[in-house]
Amino acid sequence: MIVRGRVALGVLCLAIWQAGHWALGADWISGPVDIVRRLAEITASGELARHTMATLSEAALGFLLGGGAGMLLPFALRRSPRLTAALDPFFTAAMGVPKLALAPLLILWFGIGVMSKVVFVAAVVFFFLFFNVLAGVRSIDPRLAAAVRVLGAREWTVTWEIAWHTALPYVFTGLKVALPRAISAAVVGEFIAADRGLGYYINTARAMADPVGLFTGVTVVTVLVLAIDAGLERVQARSLAWRPLARDATV
Amino acid sequence: MSEGAVLLEVRGLGRRFEPRADRGEAVFAIRDLSFDVREQEFLTIVGPSGSGKSTLLNLIAQIDAPTEGEIRFRGRPIAAATAGALRPGWDRQFGYVTQDDTLLPWRTLIENVLFPLRVQGRLSAQTRDRASELMSTVGLEGFERYYPHELSGGMRKRAALIRTLVYDPPVILMDEPFGALDAQTRTQLQADLLRLWNLGRKTIVFVTHDIAEAIALGDRTLVFTRAPARVQSEHRIPIARPRDVRTIYGVDGFAETYERIRKELQ
Repeated sequence: MIVRGRVALGVLCLAIWQAGHWALGADWISGPVDIVRRLAEITASGELARHTMATLSEAALGFLLGGGAGMLLPFALRRSPRLTAALDPFFTAAMGVPKLALAPLLILWFGIGVMSKVVFVAAVVFFFLFFNVLAGVRSIDPRLAAAVRVLGAREWTVTWEIAWHTALPYVFTGLKVALPRAISAAVVGEFIAADRGLGYYINTARAMADPVGLFTGVTVVTVLVLAIDAGLERVQARSLAWRPLARDATV
Repeated sequence: MSEGAVLLEVRGLGRRFEPRADRGEAVFAIRDLSFDVREQEFLTIVGPSGSGKSTLLNLIAQIDAPTEGEIRFRGRPIAAATAGALRPGWDRQFGYVTQDDTLLPWRTLIENVLFPLRVQGRLSAQTRDRASELMSTVGLEGFERYYPHELSGGMRKRAALIRTLVYDPPVILMDEPFGALDAQTRTQLQADLLRLWNLGRKTIVFVTHDIAEAIALGDRTLVFTRAPARVQSEHRIPIARPRDVRTIYGVDGFAETYERIRKELQ
C-alpha cells in the first residue's frame, strides 16, 4: 500500500516536471529525458563516479569528524552537569555562527583541496548530533541507573548500558538530519572553491549556461541523499527493534 | 521464625529532604529510626503511604545517604551521615526489588536476568543453569527472548525478582514489589516468593502497605508511624512455615494479628 502510493506520487512528480519542461521550454527547465541521457554520458566517461566519490569522501570524512565529536562529547559531559551548563552558551554561540559566511576563511586556512570541505562539513554536522545526543543523555531514567549500580555495574557499564541505549533514538534523530546536511555542506563547499565534486560539476554547468548539467548534478545529489537515508532507516530499524513499535498504534 | 545473629542495625536514622526553592520547609521522611534485622529473617514493614518506607530502603541499598544516624551491616557501619561516597548495593550484599519496573527495556528477558552476572563477571555454564532453573520455577521459561514491554506486569515482576536472586545477595530489599498487580497475580507471586525463600533462606526486608501481605510473608512485622517515620510497634507473626498464602486468612493467629496491626495504623 505504502509502496504503491510512493510510486504513484513519484510518477506524479515526474509528470509535473515534464509538464513544466514542455510549458517553459528547455532553457528554463530541462526535461527528465535529457537528464537520463546526460547521466548515461557522464557515467560512461567516468565523470559521474569521479565527482560523486569526491563529494562522498569529503562528506564522510567531515561527518566522521564532526558527527563523531558531536556524538561522544555528550557522553563525556554526562557526569559534569555544571561544566555542561557553563559551556552551554558557548555551544549555542558556535552553532549560531553562519557556517557559510566562514567558508572563505576556511579556504584561506585549509586551501581549496579536500580539507576545507571536510572542516566545513564537520562544523555543520557537529551541532545536529551534539544537541540531540545531549538531550538523549539527559533523559536517562535515574531509577534505571540506580538499579544497575545496585546490581554491581560500574560507571562504564552505566554509560554504555543506560546512557547509550537511552540516547540511541536521539542519535538516530540527529543522524536523520545530519547526514543529508553533510552531503549538501560538501556540495556547497565545492561551489566556493574546488576542482572536482558534484558541487564543482553543478557550478561549472551554471558558469557554462548548461541547464541540463545543472539539473543532472542536483538530481545526483538528491538520489545520493535518498540512498543514504534509506540505509540509515534500515540500521535504525535493526538497532531499535526492542522498542514498542509505532506500527502497532498511532499515538 | 529465625533467631540468627543480628545482621543489620539501623540506629537513629534520619533523612531530611530540602524543599525546592521558596516552597515550604525541609521535611524529615524518617527520623530517629532504630531497629534490627536478623540473619535469615523475613522482616515486613507496614506503614501509611508517604511514611518514608522507600526512603529507608534507598538508604540501606546505598543509593541515598542519611542526614542523621547510621546503618551497620555485620557490625560494620556502612552508611552514616558523615560517610563519603555511596556504594550502591554495598558490593552486591544488598539486592533491591523496587516498586517500579527497572528491567532494561532494550534487553530481552534472559539478558535482563543474566545482566548482574555479566557485569559482575560471573557468567558461567553453572550460573546460567541456575538462572534458567529460577526462570522455570516462576514459569518464565519460553519467554527468554521477549522484551519486557511484550510481557505482563506480573511476568516483569517475576523477572525482576529472579534478576536479584540469580546473583545471590545475602540481603534482599523489596519495596512494595507486588503493589501494582491484580489480586490473583499478587497471590501467585507471594507464593512464588515464599517458595524461593524456602529454597535458600535469605534475609528479606519487605515493605508494603498491605497488612495481610505483611503477615502472610513475614516472621516479624514492624509498623511505622506517619512521616517522619519511626517504629510504632513490632509484631511477631505466630504462623508456622511453610505457609500457603491462599489459605492464610483462615489460619490461627492471622485474624488477631491483622486486627492488632490495623488498629495501630489508624
